[in-house]
Amino acid sequence: MNRDNEAELPEAMLAEAASWHVRSEDERPDAMDWDAFTDWLEADPRHRHAFDQMALTADAIDRHKTELGVADADEDDDVSPQRGRGALWRWGGLAIAASLAAIVAAPQFLVPAPAVYATQAGSSRIALADGSSVLLAPHSRLTVAGRAQDHMDITGGAIFDIRHDPSRTLTISAGGVSISDIGTRFDVQQQDEAVRVSIAEGRVRVSGQALAQPIALAAGSGLTFDANAGTAIVAPVKAADVGAWQDGRLSYDNAPLALVATDLRRYAGVRVNVPAPLRSRRFSGTLIVDDGEKALRDLVQLMDLRLGGHAGAWRLEQR
Amino acid sequence: MIAAGKRMEPGEDRTPASGLGGMLEVHRAELLRFLCGRCGSMDEAQDVMQDLWIKVSGASTGPIGNPRAYLFRMANNIVLDRLRASRRAMRRERVWIEADGDGVALAPELRIDPAEPADEALSRRQEAEILQQAIARLPEGAAKALRMYRFEGMAQGEIAQILGISRSGVEKHLAVAMKHLRAVLANCGSFAAVPSHDHGADGGATPRMEQGR
Repeated sequence: MNRDNEAELPEAMLAEAASWHVRSEDERPDAMDWDAFTDWLEADPRHRHAFDQMALTADAIDRHKTELGVADADEDDDVSPQRGRGALWRWGGLAIAASLAAIVAAPQFLVPAPAVYATQAGSSRIALADGSSVLLAPHSRLTVAGRAQDHMDITGGAIFDIRHDPSRTLTISAGGVSISDIGTRFDVQQQDEAVRVSIAEGRVRVSGQALAQPIALAAGSGLTFDANAGTAIVAPVKAADVGAWQDGRLSYDNAPLALVATDLRRYAGVRVNVPAPLRSRRFSGTLIVDDGEKALRDLVQLMDLRLGGHAGAWRLEQR
Repeated sequence: MIAAGKRMEPGEDRTPASGLGGMLEVHRAELLRFLCGRCGSMDEAQDVMQDLWIKVSGASTGPIGNPRAYLFRMANNIVLDRLRASRRAMRRERVWIEADGDGVALAPELRIDPAEPADEALSRRQEAEILQQAIARLPEGAAKALRMYRFEGMAQGEIAQILGISRSGVEKHLAVAMKHLRAVLANCGSFAAVPSHDHGADGGATPRMEQGR
């Protein structure tokens, strides 16, 4: 329909469109002169087509970000596939050095200060500008940073309900992994070096230094990652169980007791010590956490264990 | 009546708008003019305004440094979302028509994964290869800036620091890269299959002039 039109967009016009597009993505709010951009759009109806094509080009690049980024690292460093990340690391180091310099020399270059949300005993819903939302679990902390609220960091637990937008590259860091390529609804639980990601709808990609390659997770699957133990296990999850903590329910399928204890502390507010020999014992089942002590007693009974110690310092013991 | 009038200001009787919503009212005319240029039709501009209004009134945001720029950016993003949606719809329609030709008509919604049938996965791979080769041919500075910006998620200011060049230098590098890559995608027909996102009549670019004479 507009084929002729588009094939013949003049070079100079395309160069202008490219500049406008780059400026429209600049993290500084005042980088883009929207009035001048409006004038430019009004000057020639082809201008908006040229701009659209730049935006679609950016989408295409972002769509292949993973393949292109990885291919790139391999080219730079052909020693072995494992060492392919070398190139990225180099840049990473430079980036840190540069941002340290920026704090001293030119603080105005930095993106807006990150927003930090932290919960105490209750959970809290956070609405993001693009319509996405995050339900932050008790005793958890979420940092939102970046030019398009596209860098998040979670400590503790949260259910993410993310509106898919191919134009941005949202990344959520949790423990030793980062979650990207995100569409729709999933739950993240992080404690120290252990991270669980469960997908209710859509899909995500999880990557990390300790992972040889990124792991794609689709709806109905979950990843349990433990950097210390060096394990990354992908297993099916029931969509209904994803983020069930918000209804006072914790469901497990073959989960180590250490992890269950972590959850009890966060969601039931009850501290329980799990001695080393019991830490990797597995639990499958559902705990109701509206009354912390009761959930703990249920666990003990289901696992055929004994509860030692006293309130505030419970301890799981072999029967 | 008179006693109460002393502190009345125009518009005071309106519901107090929340911060961003209030700013939307303040800048409505400029935003609409921008959207009209951006969409090429007043009708669509008004649709987008409506979407923007809904978004703004539904969002609880933190403090925003430059609300005017923020609103323009939001508006521009809505236009891009619509463009993407119309391209997706066109692609699905095309796939559907092709499938129909084989006598195996299957509505796109009934596919197991309507987002990406096998043939699209193939063209996805081709697209990735084309881009990869094109990036390899970019001038060095442009390729570096593009990688840092698009693959490593660095801010333009950071890239300027690392490459030791000015921000406008970074901008030029990125623009060169984008222009090259657009040309490559255009050459293999990436933009051809889909018309512009005009609604209705062509020539919507001059919406106020129809039948005026």
